[in-house]
This record gives sequence, C-alpha cells and structure tokens, in this order.
Amino acid sequence: MKALNFEGLGGGYGDTQVLRGVSASVAPGEVLGVIGRNGVGKTTLLRLLGGTLQAMTGTVRLGDLCLDGWPAHRRQHAGLATMPQERLVFDPLTVRENLTLHRADRSLARYAELFELFPRLHERLALPAGRLSGGEKKLVAFARTLADAAPVTLLDEPSEGVQPENLQRMAACIDTRRQAGAAFVIVEQNLNFLLPLLQQVLVLDHGEVVRAGSAGPADREVLVQHLRV
Amino acid sequence: MDALVGTYALNLLYQCALLALVALGLAIVFGQLGIMNMAHGEFLMLGAYAMVVVQRAGLPLWTGVLLAAVACALLGAVVERILIRPLVSRPFDTLLATWGLGILLRKSVEAGFGRGYQSIDHGWTGTLQVAGAPYPAYRLGLMAAIAIALGALAWWYRRSPAGARVQAMVSNPGLAEAMGLNTRRLALGAFVAGCVCAGVAGALLAPLVRIEPAMGMDWLLASFFVLVVGGLGSLGGLLAGAALIGGTQVAVASALDATAGSVAVLLLAILFLWRRPHGLVARP
Amino acid sequence: MAWWRGPDVWLPWCLLAAALVAVPVLGDDYLAYQLGLYLLYGLVTQGIALTWGRCGFLPLGQALFFGLGAYVSGAVLKGSEHQALWWAAWPLAVLGPAVLAWALARVLFARRFESGPFFSLITLALGMLGFQIASQWSSVTGGFNGLGGIPDLPGLDRYARLYWLIVGVVLLATAAWVALDRLPIGTLWRATAEQENRLQFFGFATDRLKALAFGLSGALGGLAGALYAPHQGLVTPPVMGFQLSAELVIWAAVGGRSSPYGALLGAVGIGWLSATLRQEFVYWEVIVALLFIAVVLRFPGGAVSLAAPLWRRLARRSASPQAVPAPTRPGPRDDEVLVFEGVRVVQQGVTILDALDLRVATRGVHGLIGPNGAGKTSTFNALTARLPLAAGRIRWCGEDLAGLTADAIARRGVGRKFQIPSIFPALTVAEHLRIATWAQRAHGMDLLRMRTQHWRTPLRDAVEAELPFLVEASGRPAGELSQGQRQMLELVLTLLPEPRLLLLDEPCAGLSTHETAQQLALIATAVARLQATALLIEHDFSAVERLATQVHVLHQGRLLASGTLAQLQADAAVQAVYAGGRK
Repeated sequence: MKALNFEGLGGGYGDTQVLRGVSASVAPGEVLGVIGRNGVGKTTLLRLLGGTLQAMTGTVRLGDLCLDGWPAHRRQHAGLATMPQERLVFDPLTVRENLTLHRADRSLARYAELFELFPRLHERLALPAGRLSGGEKKLVAFARTLADAAPVTLLDEPSEGVQPENLQRMAACIDTRRQAGAAFVIVEQNLNFLLPLLQQVLVLDHGEVVRAGSAGPADREVLVQHLRV
Repeated sequence: MDALVGTYALNLLYQCALLALVALGLAIVFGQLGIMNMAHGEFLMLGAYAMVVVQRAGLPLWTGVLLAAVACALLGAVVERILIRPLVSRPFDTLLATWGLGILLRKSVEAGFGRGYQSIDHGWTGTLQVAGAPYPAYRLGLMAAIAIALGALAWWYRRSPAGARVQAMVSNPGLAEAMGLNTRRLALGAFVAGCVCAGVAGALLAPLVRIEPAMGMDWLLASFFVLVVGGLGSLGGLLAGAALIGGTQVAVASALDATAGSVAVLLLAILFLWRRPHGLVARP
Repeated sequence: MAWWRGPDVWLPWCLLAAALVAVPVLGDDYLAYQLGLYLLYGLVTQGIALTWGRCGFLPLGQALFFGLGAYVSGAVLKGSEHQALWWAAWPLAVLGPAVLAWALARVLFARRFESGPFFSLITLALGMLGFQIASQWSSVTGGFNGLGGIPDLPGLDRYARLYWLIVGVVLLATAAWVALDRLPIGTLWRATAEQENRLQFFGFATDRLKALAFGLSGALGGLAGALYAPHQGLVTPPVMGFQLSAELVIWAAVGGRSSPYGALLGAVGIGWLSATLRQEFVYWEVIVALLFIAVVLRFPGGAVSLAAPLWRRLARRSASPQAVPAPTRPGPRDDEVLVFEGVRVVQQGVTILDALDLRVATRGVHGLIGPNGAGKTSTFNALTARLPLAAGRIRWCGEDLAGLTADAIARRGVGRKFQIPSIFPALTVAEHLRIATWAQRAHGMDLLRMRTQHWRTPLRDAVEAELPFLVEASGRPAGELSQGQRQMLELVLTLLPEPRLLLLDEPCAGLSTHETAQQLALIATAVARLQATALLIEHDFSAVERLATQVHVLHQGRLLASGTLAQLQADAAVQAVYAGGRK
C-alpha cells in the first residue's frame, strides 16, 4: 500500500490562484478529512491531487512515484481513484456500463459486496444513469470508485444528497477499506458523517491551511467553529 | 403509374441515403467531438481521387476503397495532432485552420491532377427490376451498403466497449479522464474514424459523380446542413436531417427545377441555423 | 485631441497615398488599371477587417454585398444610357448592400451574446443563395453570361481617370476606418470582440454595435462593387460567388485582419500576385494555403503585425488634455425596491430556485449567504436575464423584468460584478475606465465624437485616488494585471456607471487579506456615496459582518431566514444547514 504526500501544492483557474501552499501526508490506513467553507479551495485541492487540474506550484507523490504533470488517467492507473462532487455519471449509458466501462473485464464480480450494501444499484443496472435521482447517482459513483480498491481514494462531498441509511453503509464501507490499508482524502461539509471516520484533518480558509493535524470525534466543537456563520 | 411512383420513391430514398453517407463522417467529427471540420468535403474528394489513382494503375476498383481508407486515416491522424489538438478550445480558429487545410488539399490535387473532370468506369451498368421499373444496380447496391453500414455503426456505438468509452468521453470528458480513460487517444481515434468515413464515402460515390478538385464544397455544405437541421450527436439526427434535406431537394426539384431545389435547401438551412441551430433531434 | 494626431495615424496614410499616386506616374496606365481592380477588392477586405479584426465575427459570404453593388451599379449605368433619370438610383448600389447587411445583423444577433461560428455558416449559405439567384434570374441579371457592355462613369474613362476616383475612395475609406477606430465606437467594438457578455452588462446594446459594423462592411462591399461595374464593364455571377468570398477572407487574414492597411496589403499583395502567378507556378496556391494556416496557428495579426513594434514606437500620446465633465446620472428614487415573488428556475431537470420570495427594500448592503448549491449566483443570473424563469416574477422599481435583455436591465440601473473578473484583456486600463464612464451616459452621436474620450466624473476621480494602480497602469493591457488588481478593476467598472442596484458576486474571491480590506472599504464608501442598494454574495463572514446591515440566507433555492448577522448566528436552523449537514 502506498502513502500520498503533497507539499506546497497550489493552483487555480486561468490566472487566478485559488489554493496556496497546502501540504499534508496520508499514510496507508488513514483518512484525511478536508473541511472549510465554500469557495476556500477544497474541490480545487482534490482536482490538483487527481490531476484534472494541473498544479501551479508544489508536488504530489504517490508512494515513490512523482505525479507532477501526469494527466488524470495516468494517475488513476497508478492507484489514485477519484469521486468528483458534480457530474458523477455518464447520463446516456446504463448503470452497468457506468460501473464497468473503464475496466478491461466487464464482469460485476467485484461489486458483489457493494450490491449487498446497496441493493438499489443492483435493481437499476439496466437503467440509463441520467434517469437516477441525485442520491442514486452518488451511490453509483461511490460504488464505482470504491470497487477500484485503489491504494488512495479521493472523495468530494460523498454524503451530499444521500439518504441517512445509505450514509451509514457508506461510512462502514470506507472504514472497512481503511482498515485493510487503503488511504482516503475526503472533502466534507457534513461533520456528523466525517468525524467518526477521520484520523487527520486539514482546515482550509481563503485558499490556505489554517489548521492541520490529527483529529477525531472529540474535536467536534472546535471544528464546527470553522464552518459556522 | 405505379412504376413512376416507385421510381420516384427510390430516387428520394437514394438522395437521402447519399446525404446520410456523406454526412456520416462529419456527424462523428462535428456531431460528437464538436469540431467544425471545414475540410470534410476535401476528405471526400480525396477518397474519390483514390479511385482515379487505382483506375489509372489498372487495379481492381475495390482496392480504391482500401486506399481511400488508409490515406484518410493517415492524413486524419496528422491533422489531429497538428491542427485540431492545439486549437481545441478555439472553435473559430479550428474552423479557419481546417478551411485552410481544405484549400491546401484542393490546390494540391489541382496541381497534381489538373482541374478537369475525371470519371470512373465501373462494370455495373446493369439494372434491376424494382417496383415494376428498371433501376440502376449500382445505386441499389450502394443504398443497401449504406443501410448496413449505418446499422453496424449504430450497433457498434451502442454495444461495444469502445463505443461506450467514446460515448463516455463525449458526455463527460472530465469524469472519463478521472476514471482512467485516455481521452486524447479516444478523441484521436474518433477523428480518424470520421475522416475514414468521409474518404470511403467519396470512394463509393466516385462512379456516380463528376470528379474534380472542387467537388468537396457542395458536399461539405450539404453535410453541415444535414446535421444542423437534423440534430447533432445522434444517428436519429443524421437520418432526420438527411430525410428532410433530401426530401426538400427532391420535392422542390421535381416541382420546379434543380436550382430551385438547391435554393429551397439553402433557405431551410438558414432558417434552422438562425432559429433552431440544435436541429430536430435533441442530443441524448 | 483630434483623432488624426499622432504620426502612427497620418504617416501610414500618407505613405499609402504617395504609393498609390506614384503608380500611374512612375509606371503606366495599364498597371494602374490592374491595380485598381485589386484596390477595389481591398475595399471589401477592409470591411472584413472591420467586422472580423475589430468586432470579432467572421462573415464568409462578403462577396454577396460586393456582387449586389456591382449588379445594381451595372444595371443603373446601362439604364442611364437611355434615360438620365437612372442616375438617381446609383447610390442604391452602396445603400442597398449596407441596409441589407445591417438588417441581417440586427436579426441574427438579437438576444445573443456571442457571435459563434453559426453566424459564419449563415453568411456562407446566404452568399451561395445570392450566387444561385444571380445565375438563374436571367431576365434581371443576365444569368450565366451576366451584364455586359457596362459604360464608363461619365467623364471617368476606365483606363485612366477612373483610377483616381478609386484612389480617392480608398484613401477616404481608410481614413474613415482609422477615425472610427480611434473614436469611442472603436473601443466598444474591440470590447465586443473580447467579452461581449460583459459589455452588455454595462448597458450597451451589443447587437446594434455589431449591426453597425456589419452595415458599414456591407457599404464598403457595395461601394467597391459599384465601382467594379464601370471598371470591368462586365458583371457575372462569380462576383457573388463563394470563391471570391473565400479569397477575401484569406487576404484579410494574411495581410492583417485588424488593420485597413493590412487588408489592402492582403488584397493587392496576395490577390494580384495570385492572378499572375496562378498560371505560371502551379504550386502558388498551395503556398498561399500554407501561409493561411500558419497565420491562423501562429500569426493571427497577419503580415502587418510584423511591423507592429515599429508602429508602437511611433505612437506617442501626449499627456491627457482637459477633462470634460460627463453627463450626470439620475440620483436615488423613492421606489428602489427589489422583489422576488415565487421565483422558480429549473435547469436540466434540477430545480435551482424554488418559490423564492425575497424583498430588498432598504438601501445599503444586503448579504446573501448560503451553502454550496443554495442558488445564490442563480438569483443574480435570473435577475439579469441569464437564466429563464419557470415561474414567478422579479420586480425592480416596480417594473417586472421579465422578457428584458441583459443590456436593457443594466440600463435600468442594475450593475453586476462577476465572481471571476471578466475584463477585456487586450484593452488598456484607461480604456476600461472610459467604457465604464460611457455606460448609460453616451448615446448615439456621443460615440462618434472625440470629446467623449475625455469624459470624467467625480466618482472616477475619487476611485483613482483610492486605487493608484489605476493611474499607474492606465496604459497597460488589463490582461497584464495581477489577479487582485483585476478584481478591483472589475469592481470599479461596476461602480462607475453609478448603478442603483449593485449585484456583487464574491468581490473578494482570490484576494489577499490586505486587498480584501481595500476592496471592502471601496464597496462601503461607494454604496454610501451613491446611496445605492447592494446585494453581496460572500462566503467570508467577516466581510458580511463588516458591510451588511441585513443578511438573507438561501438554502436549496429558497429563502431560509433574514435578519442581522447576530440574529442568524443565534438561529439553530441556519447553523444546522451549515455545519450539521442536515438537509
């Protein structure tokens, strides 16, 4: 299993630099939670790590591989799976195709466990993904990302729009994987979902880190302050 | 009387089939990838000249189709790297650059073959009895081939893994990249496929039309009009557009004359470009 | 300062005049005759340079106007042989194409804010239509054989005197082109090419600006055609054909699409060369095609852009002369109330705004906050006609804003600052400030007077004192400013038209702490000075705390709560939405 390291990471859109000098290290079996208000750069951070946005400064390492300049599809092959916040599925394709098209083997064997947790997915296999509800699309994307069983997985607001009972199952799924040695970076607004899962936290404000370090459910009060009005 | 109606219907079908064949390459390149390839007509023209080359060399005509496919594939790959990829976020410049490419190809062929008309002699001058009247066999064969090709392409796009990947890339390129699909290579493949379709279409049409360097322009416009009127991004749109443009042309031409047919098509296209640029069939 | 001052303006023109005069004097009349034809083509190309190089939209069927002018002129001249009264119709050869072009542009550009490639395809199709009509309508146009035997213009025989008329027309047209470029309308045209969307939000009807440009280009084409008829004595359908339209665009591109001299250079240089070399050197046109591709890929400015550094050195602008006070804007009214009534916006099946009821009735800054996806920017988009309403009404000053275009709404005193600074990168900072000063103050003829360039307002003086970089960087293209400076410039552009309702979308996004403080101070001062109403979308609550008297919380497209920031902080429902993730 590999660790994810990033140092001095900075980037933005066009000439606008949204994120400045962010560093952290995620060991195998660790969950790093990224929190902060809207517009502080959380999604930008995940895009920089995942490779859909090229960094202006800093480096990213996966194990002993340096990922700088690598396009997103190369990073995915190197072991970095991403679940974006929006536009999670391919609308014209069926759920089944959404789950299998990026792999050489088209079987659903690796989804057995996930289908047990989320029977809805199994029911909807033949439906075009565009017809699913927002929460169901999240589940499809979640299942697809976790089934990759990548060493490092990036999740951008996975809980948004998902029913409470499915939230518990998602959390259980992440925790199981974590205990098996996978590392996660999770951007979240929902502290109830995130806090039981994380070991480390990164709090962003105005594109910079204002707090970093280990954290757990006991730090709830302190962390909520960063999100309050 | 029945024979007349039958021939009329076949002519109509033939025109629409031709339009669908010619526009297919652009349906892939413009409809799916969003690239306004103004050199599309010249790829058709190259395919037709491939038949001329093969005829002059004394080889059987079917090798011309092969030559057209290979030549257009190679040319398409080079063009994608040099012209299309650098201009991917500038649609205007893509339009201009491909237009310049079209002129380049046209003038090069002029320099090589001269401006005069060429023609292809093929053996199949026979006719078949259809609906009580004789109809040229080549045309019937071509229509059948087009129907089969469109059907096969549609099946491939819907069912095959590669087709699903191309659909994914078109509908959500960011997600496709993040999932490990090499979108650049898929885009290159799709562009080359579009060019090959154009080249093969030109080769198949060669026995039926006058071949000259400037023949591409009419086909380019026809292709754009078919896609704009029918709708970009789906086979249904291609067929709807071919039917409407072909139908208008044939109907007005038989009522008045050929030029009136062209004028009617131009007016229809202008109307759609102005009012409904996304065409009849919405993108899925 | 008159528009012709400055060696960069009159020197090239004088050189052109000298060169054109020298040709029949140093050469011979036949040379001048041949040159005359390409000068006429150059006139049409100057029209393309105006629309494409300056305004940013590319017509692919310009020969339509040239041909129209030629046919009308030819018919009139032939008719005048029998009946002198026909003469009265000759100006139609210029006016006809001009009006047609103007009308086409008005129709095609209405309610749009970009001039995509579809416009080009439409002009291409229209050109082909014209060609078909010219070829078929034999009774009027002579069909395939065209109109032959066209006599000379009286007193101007084509092989000698007509050249001087052509030279006069070309020099006049070039001067007019340069004049318009230096007048306010030229700045607006260039802004249209850069960021038409932003220009509309100043209140400028960009479709009219573009229509004016296209009408002028039609006039140039028609004028050239009108002279072509007596010059050649024969007008045939290819004069409207696609081949000519295509060549005109290539000449414009290779010569220099942003300059009237480039257009002439392209037409005369490439056009004339092609005519002679085409027969002898069979690969000549292949080379031209390669040149064209190279221009598109690498040298968008064409041949004249190679001389650009020299040009720039010539351009010495004298220090800013006397300021002219600009017309004042209306002051505060009593009925400045913004009301959203049951507003519903749906996009691609997703409900973005859901029965939103919001009333903003007091002056000063109102905060608009809410979690991601709550619909904050969408309220601005719905207000400024960028999102259609599925249900409900938006009223400002008692007037329902439904059906109005973005520029019409801007003219009602609504100013919008975008989250991502949308400035005009190639225009200088000074030009930005001028455009903002002209917004809703300059009408009609104001745009054709040099005086308007020197308008100033007290607010502008105050802002320039507050932000010195505006003066220091005034001659630099805005694209070179830093991110923070661009945000501040964008704010200034929103303030200068003195709007009554200010829509500020994350004005401090991407700014450092110091810049944020400056930006907030500017907003506070300006809103107080203008006595305006402002809606502020911000994620930084310290900013909201500092500026806003009232705060409104949006959630899932509805208004969740309103009140002062302190009241909202004590509200459990509001806190839950932000931190607990409860929906």
